[in-house]
Amino acid sequence: MGKLNSFHIIETSIWLFIVLVFFIFSFEFNQNIEIYRFGATGWPRAVLVLLTLVSLGNLYHLWRNGDAIQPGRVGFSSEDNEEEIKNRNFVSYLKLCCILISPFLYAYSLKPIGFYSASPIFILIIILILGERRWQWIIGVTAFIYILLLLLFVGFLNAPLPQGYISPFYDFSANILSLNTQLQNMKSW
Amino acid sequence: MVEKFIIGTTALFSDPISVLIFIFGVLGGMLFGAIPGVSMLTLAAILLPFTANLEPAQGVMLFAVIYCTGTYGGAITAILFNIPGAPENAPTAFDGYPMTQKGLAGKAVGAAVLCSAIGGIASALIMMAATEPLANWAISNIGPPEIFALVFFGLAVASSVGGKTIWKGWMSVLLGLLIATIGQDPVGGINRYNFGFVDLAAGIAFVPAILGFFAVSEIFIQAEKTATGIYKAPKFSVDFPTIKELWLHKIAVVRSILVGFFCGILPGIGAILAAFMGYGEAVRWSKKRETFGKGNLEGVISSETANNAATGAAMIPLLALGLPGGALTAMMVAVFQMHDLEPGPLVFYNSPDLIWVVFAAMFFANVSILFIGLLETKTIMYLLKIPFHFLAPMILLLASIGAYIGRGLVLDVMVMFGAGILGFFLRRSGYSIPGIVLGIILGKIGEQNFAQGMQMVHYDLFVYLSRPICLLLILAGLFTLVASVYGALSMSTQAKENEN
Repeated sequence: MGKLNSFHIIETSIWLFIVLVFFIFSFEFNQNIEIYRFGATGWPRAVLVLLTLVSLGNLYHLWRNGDAIQPGRVGFSSEDNEEEIKNRNFVSYLKLCCILISPFLYAYSLKPIGFYSASPIFILIIILILGERRWQWIIGVTAFIYILLLLLFVGFLNAPLPQGYISPFYDFSANILSLNTQLQNMKSW
Repeated sequence: MVEKFIIGTTALFSDPISVLIFIFGVLGGMLFGAIPGVSMLTLAAILLPFTANLEPAQGVMLFAVIYCTGTYGGAITAILFNIPGAPENAPTAFDGYPMTQKGLAGKAVGAAVLCSAIGGIASALIMMAATEPLANWAISNIGPPEIFALVFFGLAVASSVGGKTIWKGWMSVLLGLLIATIGQDPVGGINRYNFGFVDLAAGIAFVPAILGFFAVSEIFIQAEKTATGIYKAPKFSVDFPTIKELWLHKIAVVRSILVGFFCGILPGIGAILAAFMGYGEAVRWSKKRETFGKGNLEGVISSETANNAATGAAMIPLLALGLPGGALTAMMVAVFQMHDLEPGPLVFYNSPDLIWVVFAAMFFANVSILFIGLLETKTIMYLLKIPFHFLAPMILLLASIGAYIGRGLVLDVMVMFGAGILGFFLRRSGYSIPGIVLGIILGKIGEQNFAQGMQMVHYDLFVYLSRPICLLLILAGLFTLVASVYGALSMSTQAKENEN
């Protein structure tokens, strides 16, 4: 097994699985293009062949050297990872899961709830997950970020942002936008 | 040329509206480039509809100024937060962020300001002096085979510097190339890998993917550090580099100007590849290669000089041939079209005033990077004092707005967060995020030019490689590749010897 561990096997399996899925799906568009000999599948399949070869090369490297960093590579340090692994516990995993999931929930809520209602809740949740417990700071910073972004993108740049379609969130968005229109009319006066 | 430049300058500064637009472009580009989570592309996407109300020269000039100052602004977030404002600033983070961690942020940002200005001014001067002859040279010597060869060389350079090993560097680039195949194929327009989603027929949008891989994944990485209690706040410093320190890197500056200008002049390549190649060449020629990636000032200097040197050059294929070199120059084509103008050779004869106003504005935008940039930098450095748990939601929210605004699709916000999570796990496993992004950006360009090149030479590889520039670039790419693979294999041999 050399220096291979179970993570390395899983990692290589994921890559080969991706290659397999993309290869199977390439038959869906396996059509000839009259003016181009290699067709629509030529390039993606060449990439898949290279990815397979490089994945196997990576497996060989892991077998020989384990997780060692190749000399001359930039932007990597093993110190942080080691320290992080030492400090991991259930709470840190839970926090990490929350931080990874909450942006998705926010993105998912943008269509029904809208940017104007979902954003302050999202800011508040992220600040809480990241460990801030002083309520005056949480509310103050949430309000500051929210108002600052509204002024910049809505007040100044008139950027179209999702308004939502569920009441009362939609009504809230509509109120903010009508307030913005009134302010702009006052400016033009 | 001097006479035309004076006429352009007079036209620019004699009209108060143009002056206001110029100032707005300079400040807006710097600000949006320097705010983590958004980029000059966000600002450009918001402003595009408003340019219909401006004079053609004012509209094009605004975008040209944003291009120059935004390219510089993105370096600040790359250095301070490891979040490149644009893909062309990604190599700047390789050494800029380690410098911030060591308390040398001021030196890195100071070098970025100065070198961005030098690269941009040099590029603007060459552009003004030689747009037409350079465009003619490009028309007669650069075709799809050369562009594909340069893409190959650029990807080889990117894979050889990023990632924990050469294998992971290439896997990152290939993943980017695979993501780029989603959407219509560039030759026959056949839908590929849309997995039943109609929105995927247009491909993975470029801005959300970049924001996700760069900004969101970095926030997740830092959040994990906060959760495990090992987060270290970046150190604050405003010590700028001395003239002597910068003078030591004069050769790197000149080399990066040449590399950046060459990459910029090629249609479709732009500043992104310029930055990677400038950085790659700095590593290749350095006697202290092992210090790169750990906070070597030359890394910041090479990348920033090269990407700004490409800004002026990117205007040459745009103005002379009508071919955009990147996302922002593509928006400039839209500005031209809104005013019933077509960028191309005729624009020099039909609208010389417009051309010289734009040239003058780009020159002065680069000059203002030097002055306003130094003043702005001192203020922006205070961002380092904001605690991470207050900065993170702001960056995530800005990134969400940036991802949404381009096409007005919530799907893009989801793609961004998906890219962020993917980027988080890939970074933790030692893959190269800049490699993935470069693969996504250059994938379509590479495929399109490979197909066109093959059609041109009737699928004869010998004819393909008989073109000298093409052969040179392919050989340079292969050399880079073989040297990296040799490094990886010799590491394996050493490990075996140590075991014995």
